[in-house]
Amino acid sequence: MVNEIALRQELKELIVRTLRFEGLTIDKLADDTPLFGDGLGLDSVDALELVVALEKAYGITIRSHEVDKSVFSSVESLGKFVARTLVATNDGRPVNAQ
Amino acid sequence: MVTGIGAVTPAGWGVEPFAAALRSGRTRIGGFSRFDHAAQRTHVAGQVPPEPAALSRLRGWHQLSNTDRFAVGAALEACHQAGLPWPLATPDAAVFFASSTGGLFETEAFVQTLIAPDGRAGRRRLLASYSLSAPGEAIARRLGVTGPVETVSSACAASALAIDQALRAIRRGEVEIAVTGGSDCLCLTTYSGFNALRAVDDRPCRPFRADRAGLSLGEGAAVLVLESLDHAEARGATPLAELMGAGASCDASHMTAPTPDGSWAAEAMRRALDDAGLDSSAIDFLNAHGTATPLNDAAESAAIGLVFGDRASSIPVEATKGVVGHLLGAAGAVEAVATLVSLGASTLHPTPAGGVLDPVLDVDVVVGAPRAVEALDTAMSANLGFGGANAAVILRRWSAA
Repeated sequence: MVNEIALRQELKELIVRTLRFEGLTIDKLADDTPLFGDGLGLDSVDALELVVALEKAYGITIRSHEVDKSVFSSVESLGKFVARTLVATNDGRPVNAQ
Repeated sequence: MVTGIGAVTPAGWGVEPFAAALRSGRTRIGGFSRFDHAAQRTHVAGQVPPEPAALSRLRGWHQLSNTDRFAVGAALEACHQAGLPWPLATPDAAVFFASSTGGLFETEAFVQTLIAPDGRAGRRRLLASYSLSAPGEAIARRLGVTGPVETVSSACAASALAIDQALRAIRRGEVEIAVTGGSDCLCLTTYSGFNALRAVDDRPCRPFRADRAGLSLGEGAAVLVLESLDHAEARGATPLAELMGAGASCDASHMTAPTPDGSWAAEAMRRALDDAGLDSSAIDFLNAHGTATPLNDAAESAAIGLVFGDRASSIPVEATKGVVGHLLGAAGAVEAVATLVSLGASTLHPTPAGGVLDPVLDVDVVVGAPRAVEALDTAMSANLGFGGANAAVILRRWSAA
């Protein structure tokens, strides 16, 4: 099984590390902060950066139809998706976590 | 009508720090850290300082290239000064914008990561605003401009040509508001390119001096908000100045060198005068292109001779590039703003002291200290670019009478 609380913390660190922009720190990123629109204001290029970083960090493959608002709407939804994918592909363990 | 201006220059974010630098008679060209230039021939440029936090914390700011950021910063200032609330959210507004490099600085960073020995792909974000049209589009998104949004990229005359297009769109009645100007960021491609041409001075550039040894590159943006008089008056805005006319021409001869006799540069100046319905005697001062390359300043002086005749050696000339460097696609707009600042203050700004003026050129360049002039009313700003692209704009202080 995946520890979703620890996973959400990891994802926040990954988002901050990957996007690196002024004012974006882990404490500004709640589990339910909208990643797009009125929240962080990310766009599809940011989503692409995150997909590449997630694939690398967790050894998973994210298909383009999975990159939608229901998955990328917040850290919480992203955590659920990553946990689900890890369970499905690798029994919950990251393959090459950094 | 010009109802708002904004500038981002090596002097800082805003027209005020730019105006203060112009008055100071001191250059803002010097050492710089935008990229590693250890392997280059020269080591001076005009670099824009970090942006104010109020801008860097805007949502979506991280998605913009440096060139986009300079453009948006200058556009927000110009709209604020014009008293235009944004989003404008109207198809009666347009953006006519210029850039010579767009997101080339970020593209270089992406490619450098890609070709490094460990060969990883760079951050995709770095490529997102590589295009020359990105700065104008970034302004349109930020201001909510839904009319025509167009980009001009004709070298160093680009933003003067963009201003020309904006003026024509207003005159045609196509739009009521036109946001125009230019933006460019220092990058290795332009820096090493101009160095390879031996066109860069190893000291801050010295326009019109006998021992001038080339240009200095700078970076930044300037924006002018143009409106029809009816539109400005209807909303109770006070124009800063009237954009009376603009003209353009092309040498059609060489990739980089201007025609030595200045004939086609003069043609652009004459077309601007014709467009404004003025004789050259109506021009109180000229803001010159004045790159400080041996060829440009000689050809430009020849053009001044052709256009101004008997007054060629007495009409006061400003050389803004001595203060902030050559801003390429932004140069025409930055110098139009400098011209407006001088008109507003009835004082011509100096180019920093250093070296004697070239006696062969015989032009009256303001050097060392500001020069107050009674009744400054009408001015021309000229730009002569690579590829022989020439443009001139004419601005007049606004009086409602």
